Amino acid sequence: MRLAFTEDQQLFRETVRDFLDANCTTEQLRAAWAADSAVSARWGELAKIGVTGLVVPEEQDGLGLTDEELSAVLESAGYAALPEPLLESAVAAGLLAEFAPDAGWLERIAAGDAVASVLLPGQPFAIEAAAADVLVIGTEDGEIHVVNPADCTLTAQRSVDRSRKLSAVAFTPAPETLVASGPAAAAALARAADRGALGAAALLLGLTRRMLDMAVEYAKQRVQRGVLIGTHQSVQHHLANVLIKLEFARPVVMRAAYSLARDLPSAARDVSMAKIYAGEAADLAARNALQVHGAIGYTEEHDLQLFMKRAWALGAAWGDAGHHRARVAADLLGDAPAPLTPAF
Amino acid sequence: MKIVVCVKYVPDATADRGFNEDGTTDRESVDSLLSELDEYAIEQALQIVESGVEAEITYLTVGPDDATDALRKALAMGGDNAVHVNDDDIQGTDALGTSLILAKAIEANGYDLVICGMASTDGGMGVVPAMLAERLGVPQVTYLDEVKVEGGVVKGRREGDTATEQVEASLPAVISVTDRTGEARFPSFKGIMAARKKPLESKDLDDLGIDSDEVGLSAAWSTVDAATARPARTKGEVVTDEGEGGVQLATFLAAKKFI
Repeated sequence: MRLAFTEDQQLFRETVRDFLDANCTTEQLRAAWAADSAVSARWGELAKIGVTGLVVPEEQDGLGLTDEELSAVLESAGYAALPEPLLESAVAAGLLAEFAPDAGWLERIAAGDAVASVLLPGQPFAIEAAAADVLVIGTEDGEIHVVNPADCTLTAQRSVDRSRKLSAVAFTPAPETLVASGPAAAAALARAADRGALGAAALLLGLTRRMLDMAVEYAKQRVQRGVLIGTHQSVQHHLANVLIKLEFARPVVMRAAYSLARDLPSAARDVSMAKIYAGEAADLAARNALQVHGAIGYTEEHDLQLFMKRAWALGAAWGDAGHHRARVAADLLGDAPAPLTPAF
Repeated sequence: MKIVVCVKYVPDATADRGFNEDGTTDRESVDSLLSELDEYAIEQALQIVESGVEAEITYLTVGPDDATDALRKALAMGGDNAVHVNDDDIQGTDALGTSLILAKAIEANGYDLVICGMASTDGGMGVVPAMLAERLGVPQVTYLDEVKVEGGVVKGRREGDTATEQVEASLPAVISVTDRTGEARFPSFKGIMAARKKPLESKDLDDLGIDSDEVGLSAAWSTVDAATARPARTKGEVVTDEGEGGVQLATFLAAKKFI
């Protein structure tokens, strides 16, 4: 196992990074905060590059790639705090590919004509359910339904990160919406939850890097009592500690992507480790970036909050640290099966 | 027809660039990438093919080992194949020498249209396209803001300070395009994966029949003798208007020879 990006994966992340540098600015993020939906014309542009079809099978016009490429791309999406539901769409695509490949949704997701979202057992809210064209819902009793969001009762919820458009979803399961049940559905839902947690970890790596970059930049500009604050060793240590956390987390995320892409028996544990490590890195990045920025970092006018709040939201989404630690412990001690799906 | 796009692998213009002791470009301490201005040339080549002209697009670069990165990126955007001229003796070559290497490589490849960016983002001289046309003995149409190829002719629009010119040349020809031709596309993931399978040929000076005395730092007509870092910005002068603000401003500008 080589814990480094392949040349293609490297180019994927750079391409998405370059695209989002120009097309997902903090002004645009603020616009997403104010809008009813964060889905914009950018979705179609991302589709042209191949981002929305990354994990869609080739038979449905996608690229048929794996969680490794997905996490490479999501790291760049995290760096820009991309507000579109890229991860949710990829999780939904995985379930659609397994149980509803001929429904036409996958082609539309790959082409950027449709937005998919997902609600797994244990998740309280779905992201962008109102803007989505299709919603894949896993019920508590292990059924998978493919639902038109218009047929659901959606109740908007406010996230700390207001570019995350959350809704509580009420729907009536029907034979027409049911696509899978039984052990196959349960296994697929567990895998979908792992893809979500891994994706969140990758997004958190990108957010960590962004907050670190912002703090470093600020430390090099801000003069207090006649000196640049970045010249103080105490400030440098704050920043270096974040970098150490980030560099230690990245191989853990890569390992999880490797395991999940190959369905290794350790995949669930590896994903939990990734979510824990990336969550810790992002948490420290948020704390230290806020500290280094001083009072201005607390203001809504400053861009730091856009990334900090996303990191907070993602730290709790797809299973928080406590949940994932319990999964690792259960796996290591072997005295209890690792829970299949996260409790959110 | 055959289109050759000349691209350059340059130190990242947004980084803190510098020189080696011998005045050549320091490529060690800064990451390099495909020159942004050459992306416009690639975009125009791709658009010519998309407009219905049947053509094979070849990317050509002269540069160190890593310069293949620039070619791979170009191939990821589209096009058919690439040629990398790489030789230790090339280090330190100036624009004149570079135009010789490019001309020989272009002749060896065959061409109907050569497309260049308006300048490199490191050297920034913008003279290579003209030198190239001279060496190849074909017409040059430089600094185009709009490009079209029809019926064996390349046409374009050139915006000047005082006039807009419509210019054209019969093929074969060399053109250079500006950053006003339209944003270059982002490579697609499919393009990135396909680029790996596209032919990338490496050539050295021997392959092109160039004597190593003709190129390199020792043969360069233009070299960097010395470089001084730009002094840090100092605090500006604040003019407080107490009735005489206009006069004070004019005096300041006159003293600095702005007016």
